[in-house]
Amino acid sequence: MRLRHCLLLPLLCGLLLGQDATVKDAFLQAKSLWATQGDREGATQRFDSVVAALAPKGISLEPEGVQMLCEAYNWLAVLDDRSQQNKPRAQVRLQALIDLNPDFDVDRALTSQRLAAQFDRLKGEKFALVKLSLAPEGGRLLVDGKAVPALPRKYLPFGLHKLAYARPGHTPAELTLELGPKDVKTAEFKLERIASTLTFYVQPSDIEVLLDGKSLGHTTGKAGPEAAAMATPLGLRPEDLSAAFVIPELPAGKHRLELRAPCFRTRILELGEDLATPPADHTLEPIRMEASKGILSVASAWPGGELFLSGQSLGPLPVVKALVCSGPYELLVRFPGGGFSQRVTLQDGKALDLEARPKPRLAFAGLEGGDFTGRARFQALLEALGDRLQQLAFLPARPGEAPREALARLKASREAELVLIATPVQDPVIHRVELVLATLDGEEEHLLVKPLEQDPLGKLATRLNTLPRLSEPGLGLTLLDVPGEPGPWVLAASETALKAGIQTGQPLLQFEGKPLPTAETLRQQLGSAKGSLSLGQGGAALTLPVLQEAVELPLGSPELCYPAILSHLRLQYAGAKGDEANLIKLNMALALMQFRRYDKAIELLRDARLTTVRGVSQGTIDYHTGLCFIHLGPAYQSEAAQAFRQALKYPQATLLGPEGPLVAPLARQALEDLR
Amino acid sequence: MPALSPWLRLPAALLCVVPVLAQAPPQDAGLAERLYRSGDRAYTDKAYKEALETWTQLLQAAPGSTFAPQALLRLARHQVEIEQKPDAAMPFLDRLRGEYIKSPEAAEGLLLRGVLLARQARRPADLKDAMAEFNRVLDLFPEAAACAEARLQLGRAWRDQGQPGRALQLFVDAFRLREDATAAAPAMLEAAKVLDTLGDLPSCLRMLQQLRTRAPQSPEAQEAAWRTAVLVKQRLQKPTLKNEGPWPAGRTKWLKTPILLAMAPEGDLLLFQSDLDRTFRLRGGELIPQGPAAPGTRALVSAPSGPLWLLTKAGLLREDTPTVLPLGALGAISGAALDRWGTLWVADAKTPALTLFPLEGPARTVASPTASALAPLPTGGVVIAADADRKLLFLDPDGQPRTIVPYGKDLPAAFRTVTALAADGVGQVAALVDGGDFGEGVVIYGPDGAVLRQATFKALGITGRITSLVLDRSGGVILCDRRNDLLLRLN
Repeated sequence: MRLRHCLLLPLLCGLLLGQDATVKDAFLQAKSLWATQGDREGATQRFDSVVAALAPKGISLEPEGVQMLCEAYNWLAVLDDRSQQNKPRAQVRLQALIDLNPDFDVDRALTSQRLAAQFDRLKGEKFALVKLSLAPEGGRLLVDGKAVPALPRKYLPFGLHKLAYARPGHTPAELTLELGPKDVKTAEFKLERIASTLTFYVQPSDIEVLLDGKSLGHTTGKAGPEAAAMATPLGLRPEDLSAAFVIPELPAGKHRLELRAPCFRTRILELGEDLATPPADHTLEPIRMEASKGILSVASAWPGGELFLSGQSLGPLPVVKALVCSGPYELLVRFPGGGFSQRVTLQDGKALDLEARPKPRLAFAGLEGGDFTGRARFQALLEALGDRLQQLAFLPARPGEAPREALARLKASREAELVLIATPVQDPVIHRVELVLATLDGEEEHLLVKPLEQDPLGKLATRLNTLPRLSEPGLGLTLLDVPGEPGPWVLAASETALKAGIQTGQPLLQFEGKPLPTAETLRQQLGSAKGSLSLGQGGAALTLPVLQEAVELPLGSPELCYPAILSHLRLQYAGAKGDEANLIKLNMALALMQFRRYDKAIELLRDARLTTVRGVSQGTIDYHTGLCFIHLGPAYQSEAAQAFRQALKYPQATLLGPEGPLVAPLARQALEDLR
Repeated sequence: MPALSPWLRLPAALLCVVPVLAQAPPQDAGLAERLYRSGDRAYTDKAYKEALETWTQLLQAAPGSTFAPQALLRLARHQVEIEQKPDAAMPFLDRLRGEYIKSPEAAEGLLLRGVLLARQARRPADLKDAMAEFNRVLDLFPEAAACAEARLQLGRAWRDQGQPGRALQLFVDAFRLREDATAAAPAMLEAAKVLDTLGDLPSCLRMLQQLRTRAPQSPEAQEAAWRTAVLVKQRLQKPTLKNEGPWPAGRTKWLKTPILLAMAPEGDLLLFQSDLDRTFRLRGGELIPQGPAAPGTRALVSAPSGPLWLLTKAGLLREDTPTVLPLGALGAISGAALDRWGTLWVADAKTPALTLFPLEGPARTVASPTASALAPLPTGGVVIAADADRKLLFLDPDGQPRTIVPYGKDLPAAFRTVTALAADGVGQVAALVDGGDFGEGVVIYGPDGAVLRQATFKALGITGRITSLVLDRSGGVILCDRRNDLLLRLN
């Protein structure tokens, strides 16, 4: 006996672990032990093990489990009834059975008449019989709001009950019954059909269903054996299909049934009027969805890029003709320094080729805590900021990540060049939010915005999209608008211009054969000019080449966002050479000077060498170097003086641009001040 | 219960007080804000008394609030802008500087204090305190918007102290470091003027052009336009003077013995007609009476702020003052000019010195040859004609000669006397000359004394009696002909 118990232990453990197959096996073994060997004790032990495994689950059991548990109780009651020692337990078994499922009837062939009568008596003490007439069948029965199997006979506890019966395409019905001891009542439901129903299966599952453009939900689950007849001719198994999707009331007239899902071609079925009228139940053939893919190619001249589509890596660039499910994506290319992001839509069967140019990445770290009116709208605006940025790749905040944690992560991973963090200003009532936009090296700007204004981020977006030019087209001429003169007056001209025939002290009268009223007109025309231009001073037309002349980054401009500019310049510098690279260095230094990072600015300026001597040139670099040293304090006076002396070697060097103030008098004064 | 030892009583008492202090209600920030807004609303409605009372109440009720420095700044500004009482603004600004130096408003307060101090200055040395305030703005609030204006003001102060190089640095930084600042356009204009002072005309012209490109709608751009016109014509093109005839529009015999001309700061011509004993402003071709009747007027001076000053035998008549101010023993006034400190320089044909009348205090004299004519220079000094020495003297703001030009230098022949002098705002000086082999005519000098243009009346075909002249803003010269009762223009 003990040995048997020991042998049963693993079985019980298995049952406890919810191994349904083992429970079923034990159940069948128990029946077999009794039927074939007459081993009552062995059968009882196995039935007990089934009860021990299933009873704790109670009403959460699947119908099959309930049925097995009920039968086990039935068997145990019979076995206990035959044992003098266990006879009292038989009633307990029966009571448990009734409590579990009052609609279950004991096996009258197996159960003695006496025990069956005892069962009926026990049931009759708490339950009354309701005979149900359901027309048409196949509907859904609710007793006191709870779905129950639609059986022709139901036992319900004494008291007042509300019964409801419904079936798609029919008017639902309900009635109320008062049940007492020994009552046997009849409940008759005869539903009236009001519309057609449409049932269909889709392969695969999780497909959105739209009727006449209105979403009805998604297909779910898997079809059961009832779909086998339809699945087999198509070479499918029932479980390949979704569970039946029922449109319960198909209105009269024609309809358009649309099935759609990412990665699949949208299926559209035109439903004829005959499906809706006369009202009937219709089942469509299973609908198979066809895969839908686009072809994506992404390349870049910058090395080290890795492609991500909505967060999923597609590997390093170049990505050539990758088959990708059609649909919208957040495309992101991560470069070692910078990123490229774009919202793309891949269309079925069509190719999309992209060239990725790295842009500085702006990571939104999140909106700090603090409740205020309009928070949800403001948060949404922050999250959608990326849609408004043309010059930056936007990385949205990670769901659930606190802004400070995000900041720490970004600083550690350096997966962005810029970070945006929003903090409500803790006034008695919050009306302002501080936006901090910073590089990972700490150059930051603070902006205060009012979350309830029409477009609190509009100005920031505009500033982030504005990039200054580092050069402008010119002709090597210094022009003045002199009142009374017929055109811009030539004050000075470069050697090239003089050789081309330009005369100083004379006005320019024509530009590309058209009258030229002002210097500003010429400047605007130069913006779109390339190669060379034709000018006139009253005589024969002259041709002058269009040159790119270096300019300095404007400082203190409210239209520019300097942390972003610094990030752009750092990225540009990575791909630049010669004078272009050194001009970028100069402008990076200027941006750093804006943030009072004079030591870092000197590091850049010290290595920068421009070959030009006129306009923004080497003298400009030397002058700024001197200014930076002055800001570092008296310890660097000699270095500052050295830099200013260097600047004096370039008498034609200017600040700001080719027409800006000369560096020389400023450097001379600075030297005098140092003395 | 035993009483505490006397040694323990004080600590015990302190321990009892600490929680009370800790629980003391913080100053009512809400009240301060409401008071500030209430004052603001009243001020917008021009209910100044109510506004000032409300802000004063705020200062008493919540001196620790962030609105307190804002209120102080508003109170100070009101005294300056509305009441025109800069002295009354000073206590507010002193308190702002003393008690709220860490507040953002302190930058504006220091700047305003510096501007007021600079206005009070009567000589370069008086600018010291103002400059200290401007430097404080730059040192304490390097990111503040007020920095651009502080640099501009500091630059002007250095310029007035005779340091154009330092002034240029500050003017350039004012528009270089804050592109958007309202001070950018004035700073560019000042930089252009300083560049011209430093003798760098091309840079000056480039700066004026840049100003017109960057701020075309600004008043400074308008000034830059006429300055460009004058500089290019007088210094670079230097065309031969030609008589355009009666001006404006050929009008003749339309005046009553015009004898004096002057140019108002905004560019209008001021004209004194001897027969009418009045000065007129010529605007849009019409003569508009200006200032009081003043018989025997010998010199016209137009103050930078607008009012007309008339120097007569009886004394000084100011358009903005009802009384006549005596000018001492000066009986043969030959010219007058106002410098940037408000000091009136007067030349007398019978006095071998220039007499200076400051805004406050007694008159003083500056040693000088007897001046037959005098005109102001944009550098702050004056130019005088000394017929006895036959020299033109360009004097600096201290009255010291910087440039001396002998009569006839760079001319085909010398003249003997100068009847009148006129200067434009750019530094050119026109002299109405007579006598000698040159004879009657006009000579235009550059700021360095070089002859730019010249012509004799004989060559120009002028036969009238010319008594005064001005340089206009198009590079022309306007002459008044008392015999023919008309104006002539040379171009």
